[in-house]
Amino acid sequence: MSLEPEHCVTCSDEAVAATVVAVEGPNATVEADGRRERVGIELVEPVEPGDVLLCHAGIALEKLR
Amino acid sequence: MKYVDEFRDGELAQKLAREIEALAEPGREVKIMEVCGGHTHAIYKHGVEHLVPDEVDFVHGPGCPVCVIPMGRVDDAIALAERPEVMFTTFGDMLRVPGGRGSLLEAKARGADVRMVYSPLDALELARRNPDREVVFFAIGFETTAPATALTLLRARAEGVRNFSAFCNHVTIGPPLRAILDSPGLRLDAFIAPGHVSTVIGTRPYDFIVEEYGRPVVVTAFEPLDILQAVVMLLRQLREGRCEVENQYTRVVRRDGNPRALAALEETMELRDTFEWRGLGWIERSALRIRPELADWDAEARFELPGDRVEDPKACQCGEVLIGAIKPWECKVFGTACTPERPIGTCMVSSEGACAAYYNYGRLAVPV
Repeated sequence: MSLEPEHCVTCSDEAVAATVVAVEGPNATVEADGRRERVGIELVEPVEPGDVLLCHAGIALEKLR
Repeated sequence: MKYVDEFRDGELAQKLAREIEALAEPGREVKIMEVCGGHTHAIYKHGVEHLVPDEVDFVHGPGCPVCVIPMGRVDDAIALAERPEVMFTTFGDMLRVPGGRGSLLEAKARGADVRMVYSPLDALELARRNPDREVVFFAIGFETTAPATALTLLRARAEGVRNFSAFCNHVTIGPPLRAILDSPGLRLDAFIAPGHVSTVIGTRPYDFIVEEYGRPVVVTAFEPLDILQAVVMLLRQLREGRCEVENQYTRVVRRDGNPRALAALEETMELRDTFEWRGLGWIERSALRIRPELADWDAEARFELPGDRVEDPKACQCGEVLIGAIKPWECKVFGTACTPERPIGTCMVSSEGACAAYYNYGRLAVPV
């Protein structure tokens, strides 16, 4: 995803840990470093605001513990 | 920044560096392959290699998904992009990768409809908004990126979006590691395994490295402290005569990975019999294709592709860089004929490629 513009978008080389702001169906709006993105959350549901997700290429891969 | 600052603490880094110093045996070189391009990038960016003693040598592995794409597949992508009905979508890094017939960026300059996206879901959205266009997504990457393609295919099928397809070039991390371990004359003592791929696949797929090849593995996150801690863990294993798959990235990675991501991959993709890797050649069962049940969303099934094999440029030594046989600056064209602005080889294109990472962050340390 595009939260770290200096990094390659194919591999999310640094953990883009983003906090869930809102959930809308299969997507969530997440925020990292003041910027917002929409990501697919099918692989990590259920998700609620405040959860921290590892995001890559527009989807959430895992919840951070 | 939360979740980042605590992994870049200078004092902690020095403490770990001292620990590594104490664990390293004077005069005994330990070669550690960091498999993932993300680790390569972090090592150069943060100068991690200058924090470890000379005995610890980082060897840069094949884990940059951009770098391992063979030129023929880039040409296939360009052929797709040049079809008048196609809107071709790709991650930014693939735009400049040279194929035998130039790059996607050059095809765009010639008039092809090539768009950069951050996610295959963005490509699907373009398909929804442009029902009169055939939107094709250039799907590349390891198991980190493949789930995004899988989810997009599932959504396209569920919604009946018929003008979307993926040109699937997804690859798997295990087979190239085995190929590297089998390559003659290559000496590696231990592996730093990729963190985000492992988020999806878990740590089990690395078991063969310890069981069959006797090399310790640590699954590692991407901050400089993570990498230093992984070096400590690997040196400890070597010192204590242990050989295990350890997990440094416990804050995200589980032993069994993400079962839902694996299920999405299983539902949408299957292993190809063989696939060509830049620098490594043909590797059996090392890449994924879209299942026949989803052929309506598979660009390879829907469009005629040239499918020609293209030899790498003779001057380019990406292959040797990719298996760690030479360092980036030892390539004949590094920094002269081949630069990030005008790359000859793939390793100079992606910011995760060993050559680009070294060119951008480390080249002043070594005369070119």
